[in-house]
Amino acid sequence: MPSLLSHHHVKLFAVLLAANLALLLYLAAGDPIAPHDWVLLDILGEGGAALLALAWLGLLLKSRPAGRVTNLLSLGLSCVFFSLWVDCLDEFIQLPAAVHWDHWLESAPMPVGLLLLTYGLYHWHHEQLAISAQMEKRERLFREHLLFDKLTPLAGADYLRRQLQLSLEESRRERQPLSLIAVDLDDFDALNQRFGHAEGDEVLQAVTQLLLLNLRRQDLLCRLAGDRFVILLPNTGESQARQLAKEMALAVEHLAHKTRQHGERLQLKASVASTMALGENAEQLLRRLNLALAHAKQTLALSA
Amino acid sequence: MHAQWYECDSRFIAAHQQPASLIDLGLERGLDSHRLLRGTGLFHEDILRGTTTISPAQYLQLIGNAQRLLATDDSSFLFGQRLLPGHHGAASQALALAGNLRQALELLGELRALLCPLLSPRLVCDEQHAYLYWLDSCGAGPSRRFLLEAHMTAVAALSRRLSGERQPWRFHFRHAEPRYVEQYWVHLSEDLHFGSPCDLMRLPLACLNQALPQQAPTASAVSCQQARTQLEALGPAISLLDCLYDWLLAHVREAPSLERAAAAFGMSPTTLKRKLRKHATSYQEQLDQVRLHVALYLHQIKGYGNEAIASYLHFHDANNFRRSFKRWTGLPPSSLRRLLHA
Repeated sequence: MPSLLSHHHVKLFAVLLAANLALLLYLAAGDPIAPHDWVLLDILGEGGAALLALAWLGLLLKSRPAGRVTNLLSLGLSCVFFSLWVDCLDEFIQLPAAVHWDHWLESAPMPVGLLLLTYGLYHWHHEQLAISAQMEKRERLFREHLLFDKLTPLAGADYLRRQLQLSLEESRRERQPLSLIAVDLDDFDALNQRFGHAEGDEVLQAVTQLLLLNLRRQDLLCRLAGDRFVILLPNTGESQARQLAKEMALAVEHLAHKTRQHGERLQLKASVASTMALGENAEQLLRRLNLALAHAKQTLALSA
Repeated sequence: MHAQWYECDSRFIAAHQQPASLIDLGLERGLDSHRLLRGTGLFHEDILRGTTTISPAQYLQLIGNAQRLLATDDSSFLFGQRLLPGHHGAASQALALAGNLRQALELLGELRALLCPLLSPRLVCDEQHAYLYWLDSCGAGPSRRFLLEAHMTAVAALSRRLSGERQPWRFHFRHAEPRYVEQYWVHLSEDLHFGSPCDLMRLPLACLNQALPQQAPTASAVSCQQARTQLEALGPAISLLDCLYDWLLAHVREAPSLERAAAAFGMSPTTLKRKLRKHATSYQEQLDQVRLHVALYLHQIKGYGNEAIASYLHFHDANNFRRSFKRWTGLPPSSLRRLLHA
C-alpha cells in the first residue's frame, strides 16, 4: 500500500511555508532577544504545545485517506499549530510597540482552527458510524484492533473468548439461548500445497466475506485459528443454530472461487458443528464445540 | 571416541532451505527483511545466492526475530506446515517417496542434520504404539516451544500428506496449556496433553506400518542414497547434545560422572562444561533427562514397577527413585499411568 502521507504533500508544505513566513516576518520587523532574557518556562510551554499540535497533524495525515473530513481536521490543526507557533516566536523576537499585526497573527487562527476542528470531529463521528456499520458482524460493541488478525481481517480467539463471556452472562440474565457454530474448511492443507500459501490466504479472505454475507445482523464472526471460524449466535436455540450451520456449509460448497494465477475453479467444502450453551463457561463451551467439530470431521473421513 | 558432532556455532545449515521458508513467511506477512535478519549477520542477498550456510545459533536468532516481529500465535504452526518434506533436494524427495510412515520417520531421524537440525526426533515402538519424542539439539532456550510446535506440526502435516488422511496422533508437551490452545486444536489435534514428562507424539502402530499410496521403491532407494551422500558432504550428522545423549543412554546404569564423559569425548571436564553452558544446559541436566527417559521407557514399554526401575538405574531404593522422579518432572511416578495412557 502506498503511504497515505504521500497524498498530503501540499498540505504539509503549506503549513511549513506559513510557519516560515511568520518567522521571516518577525525577523524583519523585530529584534532577537538575548539568550539570558529568555523565559524558559514560556518557551517550553508554548513551544511544546506547538510541537504536539504538529505531531497530531502528522499522525492524522499519516493515518487517514484524503477526503472532506481529513481536510477539515487538518486545516483546523494547522491553524492551531500556526497560532501556537507565532505565540512561541515572540519569546525569541521582540517586536516594536508600534506593531499591532502580531496580535492578529497570534490570536485569530486559534478560534478559527478550533471551530474547524470541532466541525471536522462532528463529521468524523458520522463517518465512524458509517464504518462501524460495515464492521457489523465482525465486532460487538467493543473495539480492540490488537485482537484482530491481519489476514482476514476478523477478530481472533482472544476477542471471541471475551465476547463469549459477555454474551453468556447476558444470555443467563435475559434467559435467552446462545449458540455457537464452527466452520472448518476440508483439505485446506492440500489446497495450500497445491496452489501455494498465497492462494490459501485468498481463499480464507473470500470465505470470510461469504460467511459475513450469510449471517444475521446480531451474529459475530471470528477466526479461531488457521482455517477454522467460529460464529457466535445470540438469542439462538439449538435447532436454529443447526440450520444456520447447514446453510454455512452449503454456502461454502457453492462458492465458485477462482485461483489468482490461472482462474481455475476451486471446489471448497467445509465441515460444520453447532452447540448451544449449557451453563458452562466460555472455555468449556469452546472445547465442546471443538470436539463436536472433530467428531463431524471423523464421520466425514469414515464415509469417504 | 572419534564421534564428530556439530555445535551451535558450526555453520552447516543451508540458508536457502529451511531458514528461507521462515523468511518467506515473514515477507508474505509484510515484514521487512532487514529487521527479520537483524543480529544474524546475514542479508537477504546472501540467502538468495544459494550457497550461504548458517549456524544453529544464527538460525535461532532468525527464529527469535520472526517470533517477535510476526507477533501472532500461529506463526510456529504456519512455519511447521512448510517444513516437511520441504525443498531440500534428495532428502525431501526421499521423505516424499517413503514406503510407509515408519520409513519416513526413520529417515527424518537419520537426516536430521539436513531436515531438522535444531530438534532431534527419536522413534521408539512397543506392541501397540509408536512414540516420537523430541530432544533439543542446540540449546533452543526461549524458542523451545516455538520449535516444538513447528516440528510436531511438520510431522503431523507430513503424515497427512503422505497418507492422504489425518493420522490419529496424540500429543504430549512438557509445557503447561498455552493461552492459544485453539491453534493446537486446528493445526495438531484435539488429543492434547500438557504438563507431561516429555515432548512426545504417539501413533497407533498400524498407522505407522500402513503402506503409502505413492510407493516407488527404486526412485526412493536412489534418493535415499543421494540424501546420504548429501549428508556426508555436510559434515557431522548429529549435534553435541545428541551425541552426549546417546553416550549417556549407553552408560546410564553406571550414572557416569562428568569427568568420565569428558574423557570419552576426548576433552577436559572444563571444556565439556563450557561447551554445555554454551548450549544453555549442564551435565547434570543432561544426565537427569536421560535417566528420566529410561525410567519412562521401562515403565511404559517394559511395564517395570518402581522397584525394578530403581534397581535397574542403581538407585538406593524405590523411595530414592520416587524422590528423583518428582524432582525431574514435578510429579510422582504414580501419576505416570494416568499421564501417558489417559
